[in-house]
Amino acid sequence: MSVPPVAEVAATDREYARKETDHGLNARRIGHVIMELKDITLRFGGVTAIRGVSFDIREGEIRAIIGPNGAGKSSMLNVINGFYHPQEGEVWFRGQRRGPLKPHEIAHQGIARTFQNIALFRGMSTLDNIMTGRLTKMRANMFWQALWSGRAEAEEIEHREKVERIIDFLEIQAIRKTPVGRLPYGLQKRVELGRALAAEPKLLLLDEPMAGMNVEEKQDMSRFILDVNDEFGTTIALIEHDMGVVMDLSDRVVVLDYGSKIGDGTPDEVRTNQAVIDAYLGVSHD
Amino acid sequence: MGFLTDPFFWEVVVSGLLAGVMYSLVALGFVLIFKASGIFNFAQGVMALFAALTLVGFLEGQLPFAHVINWMLGTDYHHWYEPAGGGGPAAPVWFVLLSVALTTAVMVALAWAIVRLVLRPLVNQEGIILFMATIGLAFVLEGLGDLMWGANVKALDLGLPSGPSDWIIDNTGMFVEKLELSAAIVAVILVTALTLFSQYTKMGRALRAVADDHQAALSVGISLETIWWIVWSVAGIVALVAGIMWGAKSGVQFSLSLIALKALPVLMLGGFTSIPGAIVGGLIIGVGEKVFDFYVGTTYLGGATENWFAYVLALVFLLFRPQGLFGEKIIERV
Amino acid sequence: MARPYAGRDTFPKLLLANAREKGSLPASREKEYGIWQSWTWAEVAAETRALSLGLTSLGLKPGQSVAIIGTNRPRLYWSIVAAQMAGAIPVPVYQDSVAEEMQYVLDHAGVSFAVVEDQEQVDKILSVQDRLPTLREVIYVDPRGLRNYDHSAMHAYDQVQAAGRAAEADLGSELDARIAAGKGSDTCVMLYTSGTTGKPKGVVLSHDNILITSRAAADFDHLTERDSILAYLPMAWVGDFIFSMGQAYVKGFSVACPESADTMMADLREIGPTYFFAPPSIFERLLTTVTIRMEDAGPTKRWLYRTFMDHARACSAKRKAGQALSLGDRFMYLLGEIFVYGPLKNTLGMSRVRVGYTAGEAIGPDLFEFYRSIGINLKQLFGQTEASVFITQQPDDGVDPDCVGVPTPGVELRIDEKTGEVFYRSPGVFREYYRNPEATAETKDAEGWVATGDAGFIDERSGQLRILDRAKDVGRLKDGSLFAPKYVENKLKFFPNILEAVVFGHERESCMAFINIDLSAVGNWAERNNIAYGGYAELAAHPQVYAMIEKNIEETNRSLAEDPMLSGCQITRFLVLNKELDADDGELTRTRKVRRRIIAEKYAPLIEALYGGRDSVFAEIEVTYEDGRKGRISGNLEIRDVRTFPRREAVGRAA
Repeated sequence: MSVPPVAEVAATDREYARKETDHGLNARRIGHVIMELKDITLRFGGVTAIRGVSFDIREGEIRAIIGPNGAGKSSMLNVINGFYHPQEGEVWFRGQRRGPLKPHEIAHQGIARTFQNIALFRGMSTLDNIMTGRLTKMRANMFWQALWSGRAEAEEIEHREKVERIIDFLEIQAIRKTPVGRLPYGLQKRVELGRALAAEPKLLLLDEPMAGMNVEEKQDMSRFILDVNDEFGTTIALIEHDMGVVMDLSDRVVVLDYGSKIGDGTPDEVRTNQAVIDAYLGVSHD
Repeated sequence: MGFLTDPFFWEVVVSGLLAGVMYSLVALGFVLIFKASGIFNFAQGVMALFAALTLVGFLEGQLPFAHVINWMLGTDYHHWYEPAGGGGPAAPVWFVLLSVALTTAVMVALAWAIVRLVLRPLVNQEGIILFMATIGLAFVLEGLGDLMWGANVKALDLGLPSGPSDWIIDNTGMFVEKLELSAAIVAVILVTALTLFSQYTKMGRALRAVADDHQAALSVGISLETIWWIVWSVAGIVALVAGIMWGAKSGVQFSLSLIALKALPVLMLGGFTSIPGAIVGGLIIGVGEKVFDFYVGTTYLGGATENWFAYVLALVFLLFRPQGLFGEKIIERV
Repeated sequence: MARPYAGRDTFPKLLLANAREKGSLPASREKEYGIWQSWTWAEVAAETRALSLGLTSLGLKPGQSVAIIGTNRPRLYWSIVAAQMAGAIPVPVYQDSVAEEMQYVLDHAGVSFAVVEDQEQVDKILSVQDRLPTLREVIYVDPRGLRNYDHSAMHAYDQVQAAGRAAEADLGSELDARIAAGKGSDTCVMLYTSGTTGKPKGVVLSHDNILITSRAAADFDHLTERDSILAYLPMAWVGDFIFSMGQAYVKGFSVACPESADTMMADLREIGPTYFFAPPSIFERLLTTVTIRMEDAGPTKRWLYRTFMDHARACSAKRKAGQALSLGDRFMYLLGEIFVYGPLKNTLGMSRVRVGYTAGEAIGPDLFEFYRSIGINLKQLFGQTEASVFITQQPDDGVDPDCVGVPTPGVELRIDEKTGEVFYRSPGVFREYYRNPEATAETKDAEGWVATGDAGFIDERSGQLRILDRAKDVGRLKDGSLFAPKYVENKLKFFPNILEAVVFGHERESCMAFINIDLSAVGNWAERNNIAYGGYAELAAHPQVYAMIEKNIEETNRSLAEDPMLSGCQITRFLVLNKELDADDGELTRTRKVRRRIIAEKYAPLIEALYGGRDSVFAEIEVTYEDGRKGRISGNLEIRDVRTFPRREAVGRAA
């Protein structure tokens, strides 16, 4: 895998997009760095969850974050998505250094995510759930919306069409109108993926997308993840426990253990890395 | 089943229904806030009082904070404007509407201030702490109302129709207050509007999303503070409507804030998270206490059962269905 | 022979005629991205022509064959006629067949082109492509996931159409000539029957076979251009070809395709077809969902449902007995229509159904009566691929649940006196089995009579044909009494808890059965009763499930005892299988018919245990998973005795 040089600095989103076009990058091929984390340290009171971790995510790739329980994987995802703010370190996204933004502001920047323990709006239908994923894309002003104006209606139809394409893509037409609380686990996971996709994210974070699934459901989910990456060119960062799945899916893997980075590279490189092997075999730490 | 043909029975039921509408309105404010932020807003009753005070103040052309200003500057201003007819029924319609609009604006501003000064600093705190904060808020609002508009009892008259409805007397022989009837109509309109808003608009979808799952709502780009602001504003407007209705009936006075206590059994009955629950619960309590008082209370218990019957009903209910009629499972945040 | 339908004797010519005369009427509908799209006859003609030109420009020659593989989609239906326009022969293939089965059919039919739905089908073809020497081009409808495939012999449907439009000037007149040259006696389609034994056979049907039969049957039911149908059964099945192609083209009515297999029920409700066909298994599944829902409903609803369904059944019984309905009965029925039958028909998507058919297997009389009693004109027909479906069908005013109807106009019937096997001769009789003259000669004699393989007789009461069972399956018990396994199995399958049943008894002392529980019904029951279970096998073996099944069988025995002909078929012992009978394991056909012989071989030890009088048996069974891997399921199965009843004992019912 050959990759272009590290991300350039860009003052604005638009400038970054222009540079991207200048490079002539194909969305489906792995491009330059879209997100870079530099020396991230995160503490909760006296506990250090992440200790000086740096890595990057390149455009169009599937990047896995793995590690034993308590390694700080979920904390890392929460840092990227803005639920946690690291005490030290820098987060660079699309050529700009990111300030202490709130999660919903980060969502507006184009980072969508799913959760380990499915966080769906249980009272709503599949369709409404995925529709909420479009919120960041809705232009019509709230007050126009409240008045249900013609403009808002036209927009609603446009969003509905996008959502329908996702429903088609994920093959969940049959549960379109079903309240998600009534769906089996595997389908809920798929709806959650659909909601994240609806935001047309520039970076998609998946927190253990296959946790608690049976073999068949895992296969389905893997296929959807690969298809998302392939069809939409979406950059994906995922946490996963199932090593087999990770190695099959991802382009590059970063390995965390006790909050520190112990490995980073292609699946093959990581597999042969002695520190990684030790961590997974439970060799004791000093 | 003889009582079913008794016109008195029906008159009692209707008056109970109309009183229940008032309870429902207050309970509705509670439910909105509880659903969106998990906070049991003790100050909901005081918000109704504050809204009614503000509206009366505007209607009478009172100068806000007149006492403070006069005390500090040694002046003796009380009114900035003398509406024709003293703000009574004779006041021009535009003036009434302007006053209502100004009051609404005050409630929205109040919601903003509450989000900024109370909710934001206390984010992620225990439910009990937020509950205590709303108790504090109730006292602050009460004081603020006094400070702005003075503490005396005021009559509220928007020129709404009052007196018994002749049409209903002629046709059914029942005695029904026009004022209560218009309260019921307003409540129906309000609930319909709220339902449409929450089902069919982007904001409504965001509101339901926040009510279901905070984290997920954040992750799809919903700003919790904006939602809280909107919810508290809507609750403020609901409080204003409740305040207008209650105030027109019994005058604007401190006891208004106590109707919040009547809302509690309503919520137990209807469930803390259900809008239809709040409505139905209010109606059941309203009818129940009136019918009980009429048939049992005055005859055997010496009357005045209305003060406690609602709580007994709610307690009995709790034994059989702790989550309320429409409620979801009990949430530990209460 | 006079040809009143000259100029309409082939599908391509009919399409042109429909585009001319019914140009603005809807012809195809499909739900895509949640919205129903629709095409008029004129648009369908244009789309089909574009595809046909595209195929021609890719080199499709007259006489070659074109495989069509996928779920029901307008574009695939168009490709059938597009192939015919170009002079080629369409061969629809079951879309759920595994690569091996597909390879056999494609190779046997000598297919040169394949029009397929999506990546799944493309992958299957690619996996066996080295054993398909004649296959040249693959055309796919849905491009998803196919972008990075080698496109040297693969094309997107849209692009083929675009190429066809561009080639209009060059190839247009050539195509017109090919269409005009088409004759009614030309091959219209080749349909491979799944068959209960051996390799599938390619049934060759001409345009005359299909169109004359379609016309006769459509006239019989007064179908018009205003009718509509939902096409949801496999395109490779002759029934779908007759209903969604033959009759739709002949009468010019519209065909809607569901969004996906899972949304079929919702789509049915939205489309509200007036003409509907389903095999008994689907009617059964629909009733099961209704029953489950009613069990979960509140007491008021349950009461309403029970009261009015009882009333509907009572009304039906009176009508059948020739009694007039009283005014009170009618009023109650009207109320029932408002509260129960109407909403029920709406949920089932059958509010507008004017003509409904079922066939394929005998339908349980109670099941059949259920639909008829709520006011759905459900009828039975008796048909075969070799007959272009229609042999007999029931007229609107002559529906007897035990019979399958009178001969469709143009059909002659004959019943062999010795074996009781039914023979027929009709304009729909197939030309031949492709490349299999021996089988053709076995089935069709020199005078054109075809053996159905079913035993039956003409019912004296109604004058209609009554089918007993497969001719080769009707057997005798040791004591010489009649053994009709399918009849009994159907009775059993009417219970919502029973998905499949296999009854043994030929040349034995008594009948015994294997039962498959219905996971959705029994699982739902278990959930409601807080019965924990780890999986299918555990649920199937649960003592309470056994008790439930035992009661069902007992009831079946009771009703069998009432029929003097069949009282010997009462079931004396049974066991519940710990795996579902499955087409992937060869136990069922693709149309879910029991493959008796294969089951008897595979489960021989279990059958021996049944008849050996043991009360349990250890079973180890091979299963095939969806991805083709094989595994084994093993466990102890309980065997239970069931109470039987003396012949004609009717006391229990009356009590």
